[in-house]
Amino acid sequence: MNEFLLLGTRPPTSGETSPARAAHDMAAVTAWHRWLRRWGLLRAFSLPQDRAAELRACLIVWASGLAAAQRLGAGWGRVTGYQVTVLPLLDGSAGKERER
Amino acid sequence: MSEEAEAALAAIFRTEWPRLVGAALRIVGDLQTAEDIVQETLLAAVDRWPLLGVPERPGAWLLTVCRNRARNLVRDTGRAQQRTLSLRPLLAGQAPADGEVREIADDQLRLIAMCCHPLLPTDAQVALTLRMVAGLTTEEIARGFHQGAATIAQRLVRAKRTLKEHRVAFADDDPDVAGRLPSILDVIYLVFNEGYLATTGGQLTRGDLAAEGHRLACLLTELTPDQPETWALRALLSFQLSRWDTRTSADGVLLTLDAQDRSRWNRELIDDGVHALARARNGARGPLLLQAELACCHATAPAFAATDWAAILALYDELQAIQDTPVVALNRAVAVAMASGPAAALPLLDKLTGDPALRHGHRVWAVRADLHHRLGDGVAALADYARALDLVSNDVERRYLADARQRAADQYRSRA
Repeated sequence: MNEFLLLGTRPPTSGETSPARAAHDMAAVTAWHRWLRRWGLLRAFSLPQDRAAELRACLIVWASGLAAAQRLGAGWGRVTGYQVTVLPLLDGSAGKERER
Repeated sequence: MSEEAEAALAAIFRTEWPRLVGAALRIVGDLQTAEDIVQETLLAAVDRWPLLGVPERPGAWLLTVCRNRARNLVRDTGRAQQRTLSLRPLLAGQAPADGEVREIADDQLRLIAMCCHPLLPTDAQVALTLRMVAGLTTEEIARGFHQGAATIAQRLVRAKRTLKEHRVAFADDDPDVAGRLPSILDVIYLVFNEGYLATTGGQLTRGDLAAEGHRLACLLTELTPDQPETWALRALLSFQLSRWDTRTSADGVLLTLDAQDRSRWNRELIDDGVHALARARNGARGPLLLQAELACCHATAPAFAATDWAAILALYDELQAIQDTPVVALNRAVAVAMASGPAAALPLLDKLTGDPALRHGHRVWAVRADLHHRLGDGVAALADYARALDLVSNDVERRYLADARQRAADQYRSRA
């Protein structure tokens, strides 16, 4: 397993929201995070101080490879509406070391 | 997150929305910017709460984020100095202290008054109130009124522009807020009515709009607890909403009062209506109070047969004396028919079918058809049913009228 950094950015114009929609979105995001934690895939997270910035959240996740991390990123983007960038954090050897 | 938790979260957001818009508006002074800030605040919650957990005081968290964002924006755009005076009380505390509660309430009331500004046409007042106070999206409003999202969006943009162009300020000392109460009540009633009796489409009711109307009425009583008229509106809407689930059968057929299962009426809403009506009686006997009294007569009657039609007729007489409109006259005619029999009401209906405000709607013809039917005049009843069917636009009502006409036709055919 390797570590990957998922960067979630929200474009400045991301459409209208309403109380009902925000609650619905939050329920979906919460369920997704719960799933990520249950499977032990969430290593860490960080939230920016400046809430007005386009960068909204960072996750460090475990994944078997870049393709798997990108699938996680796509799922995260789907529930949050973020544009997600996936970056490998550790090289393969470090990941293999952990697997041992 | 369960559906229950999502509903609880939506309720928090709904309650907080107008408070946040009011708080942001107080700082930035511009409706569009305030709306953007509130949206950003909700999005911040969506970003953070799933990871950090819901804060102990979600309302206070949202208010703090909203105000900080508004303050930052004002500071960033170099307007901080001009706003120092209005910011001073806000800079002291992060969460709403007890002393601020009144200020928050005032902000919400001023927000509603701003949305119902006389410069705006009624449809714009309604749309703006639903967006800024109830927090519905353009799409949701459009769906509620069966109109295109582009139409509603344009209406909202125009309304905001009008307010900006006329420099309608969100001022502490706006002298018009109290004076605008009648139009605020009108807007809320309009929202509720559109939801309660949908004028077009396949559904008789449009739940969200009616619920929003009722919620706005409740909010208004919290903001203006000393205004009997607002309590009267709350009472009226609570009574009407208490019958919500029983107005159509499981297969979508309209059920009139006599056919509704009263054991399924919402007792909590009826109790709320009775409580609100008691508060409303402290004021003058205006149209809203009288309509609430009428609704109370129906809501508290243990059975249809036990309805006090004499009291209802007396209330309609009182209402007609101060609001002599064709609709009141039509409803009074129905009460006459119930209290004194169809023959007594028929001359009133004959007169009303000539009224230009009623003759192009289906209700006057439907009521007269029923009276003719009860008097055994099949030819006249069928003719009026046909006219009513030509004019009705709601599918559920059309079905009800078609069934009534069919029943009448069968009855007269079997007699012949």
